[in-house]
Amino acid sequence: MSEATATPPAGLNADMEEAGFYHECALNGSWTASRLAMGGLSFLFGSFLFAYFYLRSLNSGGRWEGSGYHAPSMIMGTVMMLMVLISAGINYAAVQRIKAGHKKAWQIGGVIALLLGLATISMQIFELLNLPFYPASSGFASVFVGFYPVFIIVVLSAMIWLETLLARSRFIPGIAFVEQPPTYEEAFVVQRFQASVSGFTAIWNYLAVIAILFWFLFYVI
Amino acid sequence: MAIEIEPEKAQGPSGPVHAAPGNSKPWWARPAVHTGLIGAVIGYIIGHWLGNLISPATAGVSSFSTGLSDVRNWPLVLGYVFGTIGWLAGLGVFNDLGRLMLGKPLPDAEHAPAGGVAKYFRYTLDHKVVGIQYLFGMTTYFLTGGLFAMAIRTELLSPTYHVLNASQYLMVVGEHSTMMMMMMSSVVLGPFGQFFAPLMIGSKRMAFPRIEALAFWLTPAAYVILLSGILLGGFPTGWTGYEPLATQAGPGMDTYALAFGLMGISLILAGFNLIVTYINYRAPGMRWSRLPMFVWSMFTVSFLQVLSVPVLVAGLYMMLMDRTAQTAFFTNQLGGSSYLWEDVFWFFGHPEVYILALPGFGVVSEIIPVFTRKPLFGYRVAAAGMIGVSLLSFFVWQHHLFDSGINPDMRPLFMLTTELISIPTGFIYLVAAGTFWKAKITFSVPMLFAIAMYFNFLIGGVSGVFLSDVPADVTEHGSFFVMAHFHYTIMGGLIFAFMAGIYYWLPKMLGVKMNEKLGKWHFWTMFITFNSTFLPLFALGMMGMPRRVFEYQRNLQTLNDWVSISSYLLGVSLLIFLINLIMSTLVWRVKESGNPWRSRGLEWQVSSPPPPENFERVPVVLSHPYLYGVKDAPPVADLNPPVGVVASAYASAGLEA
Amino acid sequence: MAESQAPTAAAGKAEPNHAVRIASIWLVLAIVADLLIYFVWQPHLPPGRMSDNARGQQFDITVMAVLCAPVLLGVWTYFGYALVNWRRRAGDTEDGPPIEGNGKVQAAWITVTSLIVLSLAAFGTYELIVPAGAGGGEGPVPIWKPSGVVTTAAWTPGSTHTLVVQAIGQQWNWTYRFPQFGGMETTGLELPINTPVEFHVTSLDVIHSFWAYQLGVKADANPGVDNVAFVKPLQLGQFVVRCNELCGIWHGAMFDYGNVVTASQFQSWATSIQTKERANGTLAALPPYATTYDPTEISQLGQAWAKLGIVGAGGYYYPGPQTGTPGDPVSP
Ligand SMILES: [Cu+2]
Repeated sequence: MSEATATPPAGLNADMEEAGFYHECALNGSWTASRLAMGGLSFLFGSFLFAYFYLRSLNSGGRWEGSGYHAPSMIMGTVMMLMVLISAGINYAAVQRIKAGHKKAWQIGGVIALLLGLATISMQIFELLNLPFYPASSGFASVFVGFYPVFIIVVLSAMIWLETLLARSRFIPGIAFVEQPPTYEEAFVVQRFQASVSGFTAIWNYLAVIAILFWFLFYVI
Repeated sequence: MAIEIEPEKAQGPSGPVHAAPGNSKPWWARPAVHTGLIGAVIGYIIGHWLGNLISPATAGVSSFSTGLSDVRNWPLVLGYVFGTIGWLAGLGVFNDLGRLMLGKPLPDAEHAPAGGVAKYFRYTLDHKVVGIQYLFGMTTYFLTGGLFAMAIRTELLSPTYHVLNASQYLMVVGEHSTMMMMMMSSVVLGPFGQFFAPLMIGSKRMAFPRIEALAFWLTPAAYVILLSGILLGGFPTGWTGYEPLATQAGPGMDTYALAFGLMGISLILAGFNLIVTYINYRAPGMRWSRLPMFVWSMFTVSFLQVLSVPVLVAGLYMMLMDRTAQTAFFTNQLGGSSYLWEDVFWFFGHPEVYILALPGFGVVSEIIPVFTRKPLFGYRVAAAGMIGVSLLSFFVWQHHLFDSGINPDMRPLFMLTTELISIPTGFIYLVAAGTFWKAKITFSVPMLFAIAMYFNFLIGGVSGVFLSDVPADVTEHGSFFVMAHFHYTIMGGLIFAFMAGIYYWLPKMLGVKMNEKLGKWHFWTMFITFNSTFLPLFALGMMGMPRRVFEYQRNLQTLNDWVSISSYLLGVSLLIFLINLIMSTLVWRVKESGNPWRSRGLEWQVSSPPPPENFERVPVVLSHPYLYGVKDAPPVADLNPPVGVVASAYASAGLEA
Repeated sequence: MAESQAPTAAAGKAEPNHAVRIASIWLVLAIVADLLIYFVWQPHLPPGRMSDNARGQQFDITVMAVLCAPVLLGVWTYFGYALVNWRRRAGDTEDGPPIEGNGKVQAAWITVTSLIVLSLAAFGTYELIVPAGAGGGEGPVPIWKPSGVVTTAAWTPGSTHTLVVQAIGQQWNWTYRFPQFGGMETTGLELPINTPVEFHVTSLDVIHSFWAYQLGVKADANPGVDNVAFVKPLQLGQFVVRCNELCGIWHGAMFDYGNVVTASQFQSWATSIQTKERANGTLAALPPYATTYDPTEISQLGQAWAKLGIVGAGGYYYPGPQTGTPGDPVSP
């Protein structure tokens, strides 16, 4: 966040000083918050990870997978995982573009990332409603049916966040990303927008890693 | 969830100020509790309808899973979930999210609430309002839980059942324990943590005022949902919700999982906001080495909440999935495991114990320097103790499972970690002992409660050492000994500290004093009756009385009757407190605007109650808050620093980073 | 504010040496308390002296009381002394001496508490491992077993062979099975004195906990799990068996009594039940002895019941009509 530091000019007054102080707090807070959210989410997903390995190693009643087990569709799982991955990648690339002042490029990339995320959610819901096994048929089935609704909700929240960023970006002039805007108030708005975008990018990349991890657990091994 | 960390929701420092929309509307047209209730009803109806729609889809699954649970749970569960969303929507929680999604700027958070009592019944973003909402909310929840406790003791007057039947008894046990455990996690962090977080670190703002207010407004929903369990026959598992009993239980079980889960989300959100605030919003000069101990305790507790409570939420979610979507997380025959619940629950459950203990340490550490007129002894040790406790608390959970057959070979390790945690816990006694050395002790009501907290917690802590020893635990586990142990730490520790905090900080929060005479009556009756209620429980447990039973050996009746009568007197003592609280804040209203305790704490350097903006200017902290008796000690902060000091502080901080 | 404080103590009236005073009071109290605990209280401490585990636990509790009493008394003496002597006098508005810390005191405190804690952990580990798990449940494959005992297919009095007893919890009573007596099933529990006993604890429905209080045995009864605990009864007499894990509405009533009897009394009790159960067909109808049972598989006995139109067994696992509304009291 340090690149966003605003150096106060000579003719400083108390209100400006305070505004700058809390602006700085908010920028740093944005960074802290996205990292802290990753910590909390890791414990949330970690519970399912633990359930997965615990039930797998116990194999109680011989029903980790059990008789008559059907694996979920490898093709669907891989496609969904890749869509999250591509969405995160496009957003990441687009964020590099906005730093160079190409607002339009980021907006297009953001819209694609958003659509891919929403498509993943729809596909995931479709898969949950058409599973080749009952939720209670095995330990594997339970963890599968339990995990994905949580993941859907988290991804949906991230997509809402992305939508708010796209909505706001309409009102921010593209030039503001490369040149110091004329007033401090405008500079603050741009910097806080950038902080939010980088917080979102961190979380969305993190969720892509989670998607790969659970794809590996549920579809590969 | 991810959306809520969105930092742009934080109030813009000087962004375009928009008049709060709707201020001109009549009161009943603005979102408040009444619109929340309407939203809740509408939400419940929608959820219930949706649940009925889903039920047939899972009915076939139910027959497959040998009828483990009742598919009629869908309408109830979805009704409550949508009811809660409707409640929040009615309160106006999602209005700003809607504005953001349209790309509109947010109204300025700090300046929106206009005066009057109405703001306490609204989704108000001022942390001082939220603190007071929490104060009265938590008092209500605590006294409700206390009434259930007295019902338990009434049943235990006789060794067989006489007043409550077996299922009513378990219902009352479940309501009491769950209410206390989930709500009292916020009993200090709610009122005092929210109110004083910015004041103590010299900030005018919170990082996420919307998240903070949301955390409070989830608590009434959790309270109502938990109590509604009574209408559904209660739940038979107590607060631990052990599986597979919980899968077997009736619809009351859903209220347990939903209420506890909502409260868990509230804890995560409250802790999240506090951590970000403490890290980033400290005033210039408020170094980590100058942080008040209370802030250290809130900081460490917040970490425990953000990291451990998601595990509880996940566990409760699995329970609800088992009961609605017919998964089999906890059903052994179908590939699940009841051990999974025990592990997940206690992985949260032990940090939870310190979520309940650390705030108490923080409150008393804040109070004793003021009334001994001495610096806090061993400040670094105290802070290190809190950090050490919170780290270790993630590595002790299996001591709840010594006899369960889970990982029996790991017992020596967990015995060691459990006993190690008593080292950092013991630091609070080192700190207190050093602070009391050659002190000038004033026996004010907050100080009396603080001293009593040390007395009670010592008994709780030492009995914990007995429990950590595996051979001794074979006798003590699951008995009234454990019950006495954790009531000494939670009620004797946390609640006594909560009381100390009320008497100490109420003049600051509301600008009115608590009546001191009634306060002393309250203290002495509560101290005596508390010990008289819970000390005999150690003996009862040692003599073979398990927890949560309505029948016990006849030779234990005398002790049980003694305990029950003491508990009624404890109830009377809390009635004195309630009268004092209500009369002092609403009727007598003896004004107190200055610094009655001559405290050096930063929160006491502004007027009481604090001005709307907390500080006129961003203060610059100059020294440690506990420098009592230090010759030529600088004032704790410069409340009106010359222009440029604050700017240079953050500019340099920015360059360093 | 408080310039006239601490360093000038010698100048005024001689300040008493508080540390020595507190330490002397504490030492006397601690010695008296420890002597009383060890010699007077110990024989009366729970859970009594009925078995090897019970004696071990009584000794453990005594040792911890002996260690904890001085800690409690130390804190109480110190704070009592402080509250009496260091109170603010009326009209005194000065602050106390500005002591912000003391490296030696802090180091000593940390050292002493660490030593106490580490020695307690070492002691507890020894007391857990040496008497074979100290009576706690050790899971299906116990790693700490009593040494030199032999488990044989049949048990005879007078031998030092282990008696195997299975305790099965279900809502809301205990039943016991004896694999060395043809897998017979009883509702009461008799144990021979001076004989190593191996409990196998399991459950048919929810989690219970088998707590034989006077024997110092506690092992959770988990469905689908075999939880082993050892004990050697050393005194004749009655003991209580209670369920120690909340298992539903009649949890409070889930208790019964057992007896420690002589080996020959036990032998005749067991053989008489075995003979009776063989005669009336119970042994044949029982499911074969196993470490765990799956109640969803209907046993021969259950099939016989189902033919007679008897369904349900307290739990909801058996298919069949479920009467009553959830939460209503159900007769055990
Ligand atoms: Cu039971």
